[in-house]
Amino acid sequence: MDLSLTTRQEDNHTVVVVGGEIDVYTAPKLREQLIDLVSAGSYHLVVDMEGVEFLDSTGLGVLVGGLKRVRAHEGSLRLVCTQERILKIFRITGLTKVFPIHSSVEDALAAHE
Amino acid sequence: MSATESAAVRASESDPANVIWPILLVEDDDADAYLVSELLDEAAAPVEVTRVRTVAEAVRGSAGSACVLLDLGLPDSEGLSALRRLLAVESGAPVVVLTGLVDEYRGAEAVAGGAQDYLVKGQVNGRDLVRAVRYAIERKRADTAARALRESELRANERARLERGLLPRPLYDDRRLRHTARYRPGRRQSLLGGDFYDMVSTPDGTVHVLLGDVCGHGPDEAALGVSLRIAWRTLVLAGVPEADRLGYLQRVLVSERLHDEIFATVCALSVAPDRESARMRLAGHPPPALLHPRLAALPGAVVGPALGILDEDLTEEVHVELGSRWAVLLATDGLLEGRDGPGGEPLGWEGVLPEISRLWPDGGPDHLLDSLIDRVEARNGGPLTDDVALLLLLWGDD
Repeated sequence: MDLSLTTRQEDNHTVVVVGGEIDVYTAPKLREQLIDLVSAGSYHLVVDMEGVEFLDSTGLGVLVGGLKRVRAHEGSLRLVCTQERILKIFRITGLTKVFPIHSSVEDALAAHE
Repeated sequence: MSATESAAVRASESDPANVIWPILLVEDDDADAYLVSELLDEAAAPVEVTRVRTVAEAVRGSAGSACVLLDLGLPDSEGLSALRRLLAVESGAPVVVLTGLVDEYRGAEAVAGGAQDYLVKGQVNGRDLVRAVRYAIERKRADTAARALRESELRANERARLERGLLPRPLYDDRRLRHTARYRPGRRQSLLGGDFYDMVSTPDGTVHVLLGDVCGHGPDEAALGVSLRIAWRTLVLAGVPEADRLGYLQRVLVSERLHDEIFATVCALSVAPDRESARMRLAGHPPPALLHPRLAALPGAVVGPALGILDEDLTEEVHVELGSRWAVLLATDGLLEGRDGPGGEPLGWEGVLPEISRLWPDGGPDHLLDSLIDRVEARNGGPLTDDVALLLLLWGDD
């Protein structure tokens, strides 16, 4: 299973839609995408994880790395996730305190207002 | 196994009479090539000769041959450079060089440079030629086996060294508090990953326990795990209060890690001097499970981010009542992330506790830990992805 990535602009945010498995093999692709966005001046990101089927510690590390990068520019990184299996990973690792997690892209965009 | 090795192994393990060695003859002179083939025929040698005229062709064919017979005077190569190119071929065949009478001295140079043997054209007979080929194949095979053995010894030493660093001799003196630990590396690497644990007591009688996991797999993570374990041990011995330890540990992690996506999860327990309660801190780590007096995961809702994610330490202390006789199992998430069948959901304690109930308390601690990992692997449908470290603490009479 591979990782799929698409991006689109909504308001002043860049929405990154992630699908498939984020693991030690595919995480570099997501890392590159986040780095490219920040380098291009996109500091407010919404990562839509509704299509993510698997997430391991390397993937978490990449998301955390992305958060650090946008924060360095006073930006934000919000996650969209309603899948219990993925939410559980964020809860167990204490990352619910680090990432704002929303139930839809609309919620994430509204929360920023 | 390479084609060369397999050819050589076949040659040595089977009945020699039935083995045909693929020999690569590198010779530009038709008359000399004919001569060599005749000698091999004359000796009824069990060989199948492929003749090529250039070093470039020989380099391509080397790995598929059992032995290369190389004429040192080829047109596309000067002196010993042909030999060097052939010896540089990965899993290449052993090389026996052929020289003319006038340049026999170059044969000796070739052997010094890595050829198995040299033969002088016009002087060698069929039997000597076959013997040289046979010895070359056998020597190469022995060298390969010796190198493989040496490499596996080095790996084993490395692993033992890391294992000693990661899984220490605990520093506490309380015979009634027993512990048993297990470590099983995940399937992604043969070396240890970054799981670690330690136990240290302070003069007031408290026993401090740490179990952690550096994200990622491999020797770098394992080395970082050792650093964190020793840093934590030092913090405890130096009398640094529990509330400050993980903050310091995080600073050590941040300063020692290879890149800023590396983080570590830890579970820290401080078992009170009367052993009836403990204080717990979780940084991105699943809580331990109580096995006795009842089977249940300890509360895991109060968990701070793993170390290395934020600049500050956000863990909070949780008080855990244990009672007068108890068993607690600390685990890294390698165990809890075992899936319920291929592609299934991670088991978590909900899935693992029922397995424990089938193994505990019958059979004792060692049996529990070994069998538990086996059972979770079986549920997972194969070896677990991540490393597993387990630490079982037992207090009170059996």
